[in-house]
Amino acid sequence: MTSKPRALALAFGWLLAIASTQVSASLNVFACEPEWASLVAVLLPDAKITTATTAWQDPHYIEARPSLISAMRNADLAVCTGASLEAGWLPSLISRAANRHIKPGSDGLFFAADHTPLHQSHEHVDRSMGDVHPEGDPHLQLSPDAVPRITQALATRLSALAPDQSGIIQQRYLRWRGEWNLQRQTWRAAAEQLEGMIVVTQHSTFDYLLRWLNVAVVADLEPKPGLPPSSRHLRDVLATPLLSDAALILVASYQDDRPATWLANQSGVPKVVMPATVTGKPGQQSLQNIIGLLVDALLTHQAPRNVD
Amino acid sequence: MRFTRLHAGVLSTLLVPFASAQANEMNPDISVVLDGYYKQNATALSHRDEGFGLGHTELTLSAPIDDLFAGRLTAVLEEEHGETELVLEDAYLQTTGMPWNLSIRGGRFLSQVGYLNSRHMHEDDFVERPAAYRALLGSHYFDDGLRVNLLMPTPFYWQVGVEAFNGNQLTEGDEDIGVYTINTRFGGDISAAQSWQAGLSYLRNRQLHGEHEDDHDHGHDDDHGHGHAAAYTGENLYIADLVWKWSPNGNIRQQQLTLSGEYLYADELNEHAHSSDYHQGWYASAVYRFTPQWSVGARYGRVDLKEAHGDHFHDQQLKETDVMLAWSRSHFSTLRLQYTHQSAHDFDDADNTVTLQYVMTFGAHGTHDF
Repeated sequence: MTSKPRALALAFGWLLAIASTQVSASLNVFACEPEWASLVAVLLPDAKITTATTAWQDPHYIEARPSLISAMRNADLAVCTGASLEAGWLPSLISRAANRHIKPGSDGLFFAADHTPLHQSHEHVDRSMGDVHPEGDPHLQLSPDAVPRITQALATRLSALAPDQSGIIQQRYLRWRGEWNLQRQTWRAAAEQLEGMIVVTQHSTFDYLLRWLNVAVVADLEPKPGLPPSSRHLRDVLATPLLSDAALILVASYQDDRPATWLANQSGVPKVVMPATVTGKPGQQSLQNIIGLLVDALLTHQAPRNVD
Repeated sequence: MRFTRLHAGVLSTLLVPFASAQANEMNPDISVVLDGYYKQNATALSHRDEGFGLGHTELTLSAPIDDLFAGRLTAVLEEEHGETELVLEDAYLQTTGMPWNLSIRGGRFLSQVGYLNSRHMHEDDFVERPAAYRALLGSHYFDDGLRVNLLMPTPFYWQVGVEAFNGNQLTEGDEDIGVYTINTRFGGDISAAQSWQAGLSYLRNRQLHGEHEDDHDHGHDDDHGHGHAAAYTGENLYIADLVWKWSPNGNIRQQQLTLSGEYLYADELNEHAHSSDYHQGWYASAVYRFTPQWSVGARYGRVDLKEAHGDHFHDQQLKETDVMLAWSRSHFSTLRLQYTHQSAHDFDDADNTVTLQYVMTFGAHGTHDF
């Protein structure tokens, strides 16, 4: 007779224990992409952060898989890019996780793209143009101008969710902003050197940074945004007269580099594979690191061609 | 010159309301699925006739209703045996603001039993559902009812759900709650590259109690009242499912291998059924998308059925092997070539066939569910 209630009490206690660990823990943050996880980690280092994607995964193509539903279940805040970048998986994730704190329009869902102007927004979009986002280009994580605006808004949001830490969050933001501005000056100096440089890219992954650095994109390996490079389109790119002036072919680490390799072999323009976001590896842990790596890569590929 | 510029201005203001593809502002998400095919031969237990035909043509509207509810409406146009039917497959509201990760859905919707059943047909990797699904669930079972799902507060994914349905879409009957289901799912990641999900489901069909059984002796013939009722039923249906997916670095854009399988078992077929009388079926499927645009797949399935003849049953069996090759120009278009081999016991129309199918979607972006 006594064993049954005791077993029940044990089970109930176990459930309570699980529930209470959830409550007492620090802020749970779900980051759709690693760049936003890195910013949250700067502003709120003791937050428990789950990152849905890595630098080796195309953020357009993620599935609402069980582990992500589970991570979204008890998140206090989800930080995502927005501008339809996650249109294929975030709505499903939100719906399946049934976390009432996280839904469009609520404080628990932060879209980076809502806090900065976007390039290439369109009034009219149809899919014959490729996978074009009407709101604009969502690949803004390497924009030297957009990231500070986003980080500032993120600091405000985190302060609202963890009011007891708002003072320290603001301090951390200001320190981060100071460092960013310092770095920005070196990138600005690089931009003056890079003026007039021409590159080939795949998708608009690096476009915000390239535009900021005065680097022109002469060709895109994708025939239309979101369509994989076809051999016919690659031959068209190879026939582009300006291709011989291009300093490099820039592809992101999550992209298939075989088309770029082919074009590099055919044209002699070097191929460079770079992470489009933080990777967690030493020297690639902050967005400043990644921008710095890209700037260095552009500078090294520019120099010898100028000497010629 | 001035006139044309004015003209263009008027046009662009007219276009603005249609410019946003997402359900922001006041417009719902609208999406359309076009599904058509050419099938060389008729096959057993098939919902697609031979020759040219339309499959599952869908029109879906969905949007948040307010801060607590979201809604979805899916109308499906289906042609079967020369008749065109307009069927509502979804017409439901879903809560979005419940505590404790509870979600409640009411209206008409696809039951969440098994792995495939809750998915819309256009997401499938093969032209038709496995034979076991076609026999025991009418390809996909949807009905009018209520669902309550709960995500358990565990560090891994564990969902528990119950559904209550009218039941008439599965078997005609008089019960107010003709069908109820219990479902649970677990899942997680093995590494960055591998993920899995397992599920167990139970479906209780209460419409099958003895007195409602009319004496339509050769029950499964083609003259069903509506195309979706399951041809073979039992009071208890059990389903176990397992899915495993792999992509290099978890980057599903470039490559993805999906292995999935389900086992279905139904008993208490009618008042004459003995313990040895049950339906049973399973399938195993492997689909490999080896580039962003191309995928190949193979599926084997079989189903062992009992066809009711008055107070006794006749054994039926269907074994099916499918091989398919699919090309997707973009994320929104698929062309599929499939070869189906059937071998059967006591199915007159079992045959081999080649099917060429297209599935095209336009409008709102579909979801990438696991």
